[in-house]
Amino acid sequence: MATEDTRVPVTILTGFLGAGKTTLLNRILTEEHGLRIAVIENEFGEIGIDHELVINTDEELFEMNNGCICCTVRGDLIRILGNLMKRRDKFDHILIETTGLADPGPVVQTFFADEEMQDKLKVNAVVTLVDAKHILLHIDDSEEAKEQIAFADVIILNKSDLVTPAELDSLERRIRGMNALAKIHRTTNAQLPIANVLDVGGFNLDRAMELDPHFLEEEDDEHDHSHCDHEHGHCEHDHDHSDCDHEHGDCKHEEHHHHHHHHHDETVTSVALEHVGDCDGEKLNAWLSELLRTKGQDIFRTKGIVAVRNNPKRIVFQGVHMIMNAADGGPWGERQRKSVLVFIGRHLDRAELTKAFQACTL
Amino acid sequence: MGLKKYAAVQADDCILNVQWAGDHLCVTPVTGAILVVDKEGEITSALPDHGLGNGASSATPDLVATCGFDGRVRFHSLPACEQVAEVKLGRSVIERVVWSPDGQHLAVGFGKNLLILDRKGETVATFGEHQTSVTDAAWNPKNAREVASVSGGGARMWRLGATEPFAKFDWGGASLSVAWSPDGRWLVTGDQTASVHLYDFNRDYPLHIQGYETKVKAMAFSPDGKKLATGGSPMVTVWDCTPKNGPEGSTPGQLQFHQGDVEAIAWSPDGKYLATGDILGRLVLSANDKPVSAFQGENNITSLAWNPDGTLLAVGDGDGLVVVFQAV
Repeated sequence: MATEDTRVPVTILTGFLGAGKTTLLNRILTEEHGLRIAVIENEFGEIGIDHELVINTDEELFEMNNGCICCTVRGDLIRILGNLMKRRDKFDHILIETTGLADPGPVVQTFFADEEMQDKLKVNAVVTLVDAKHILLHIDDSEEAKEQIAFADVIILNKSDLVTPAELDSLERRIRGMNALAKIHRTTNAQLPIANVLDVGGFNLDRAMELDPHFLEEEDDEHDHSHCDHEHGHCEHDHDHSDCDHEHGDCKHEEHHHHHHHHHDETVTSVALEHVGDCDGEKLNAWLSELLRTKGQDIFRTKGIVAVRNNPKRIVFQGVHMIMNAADGGPWGERQRKSVLVFIGRHLDRAELTKAFQACTL
Repeated sequence: MGLKKYAAVQADDCILNVQWAGDHLCVTPVTGAILVVDKEGEITSALPDHGLGNGASSATPDLVATCGFDGRVRFHSLPACEQVAEVKLGRSVIERVVWSPDGQHLAVGFGKNLLILDRKGETVATFGEHQTSVTDAAWNPKNAREVASVSGGGARMWRLGATEPFAKFDWGGASLSVAWSPDGRWLVTGDQTASVHLYDFNRDYPLHIQGYETKVKAMAFSPDGKKLATGGSPMVTVWDCTPKNGPEGSTPGQLQFHQGDVEAIAWSPDGKYLATGDILGRLVLSANDKPVSAFQGENNITSLAWNPDGTLLAVGDGDGLVVVFQAV
């Protein structure tokens, strides 16, 4: 039996200047939701809310394993959150605001790469605010904007009243093409139920069953994926992930150095793969390990639910760059056994991924 | 030597640090009032907190400086505990303050700068700009005008009156804490990764010590500067700093007295005894790498401090309890 999860959820709020982060944060800080939320904001960021629950730090990156971008984490968060976690009077939720120009990767990686952070905190979601009117001006030439969209579990298309419905539809399609998994909300003045921000479980393997079925329908209309949804909550594994847990590729390669910024021709896309029937667990594990080891730099998020031969339980996993966590996702029961994998990243070669995945299927 | 419970005091929250200031003990919890306590355990004064969280305080026999998440530093006189100065440096978190050995200057890591304040809270020097936030500072015990700062991976050594560091070393990680050996020869940084860097002033040479199982959460030089004890995992590692090249190439003493991770270490002022405390609440007193006394508490031990004459050992825990032991 798993023990009760006492880890404090963390929500990472990203978005460009003017997208509405201040409005949203102010709402979260002042609205009556019964939660005690500490907000960590960048000292030099644009927000500067004067509130007793706001903590100012300086975004401070360091590489845990010599030069590997996927192991770049936020040192300030490790220290400040380490202090907060010692408190007797724990917070219900931690909200971390990043500057508009920040890559959300290191913030997320902090909670997977540092053991103490992993023990005490869990990432709820990356929430990205998008200025519906202005995003198109920088989406093509801003790597940060693409990364913020690619990493997101929730995308809030704010200021949606400033564009026409047709423009909004077009923008949503564009974003959906980049990130197939995020929940997209259209708002004005960042007005949306707080639960849509604070109760997402985007990294929660117990909730990994919520892979967005609509996406696959859009991707490939001939399949009906409606039955892969929303069975969760009975994942009583004890996080014995054997060799799947925290799979981490070789970080010593030169090509892993961070040199992809400011290339204007790199596109961010999502690739979803599906196979009705079982996979060969060993082959799949070997392929994913190799894929993330060699391409993890370009793969922001990975999610999947797989049916492994002779295993009555679903295997669910999620990854951030090269770091991957897997868990048993409860019995298949009466459901059709099938495997779904979703990758969000740059330079994704759909044909190659499909071929490699098919080689792991039975 | 054995340990006998002598006094106790309860603070509001997990103890961040305990420090003796003459006959008084300054007790800083992570939240709530900072307590000034006499050696009988009586609270002399409860100093105001620093908002969402306190930073580590620092005390001289006649002045205590407190800091925290509110970006402020406050000075209170001892033993009267009257506020003599308050400085609001800005919005940024202040994680700790450190008095110089002569008690004249206070080192404050504030954002990317190391600020030096005088006893009135006036800024007398700004050392920077570091690449990332200054996380800790340590003064040269042999020279009260020299101070080291650590930030992202490396250290800068500064001299009051100069604007550039007189020594430095860099590496590509991040440092959490720093200590300067009492003989002035060594500077040690505890890193975010499982390693320490030991800088030899004699050779202008940083030695990278790896092989730890965990982050090094506690480091203490013996009072003669000859030994460096480090902890983080259940094993306490004691390095011999006396050879020409220091611990380089040597095998450290490995003290396996604990089941839980050791997060607090303090040498007795005469250097004979090493007190170590772990997250399972066990306090061990050892001499010459052998345990001589132990005590089991209820909560994780977070901080240890001997009083100046080595007769009392204050032990702070994760539940806010501070027990003062008498050495018998």
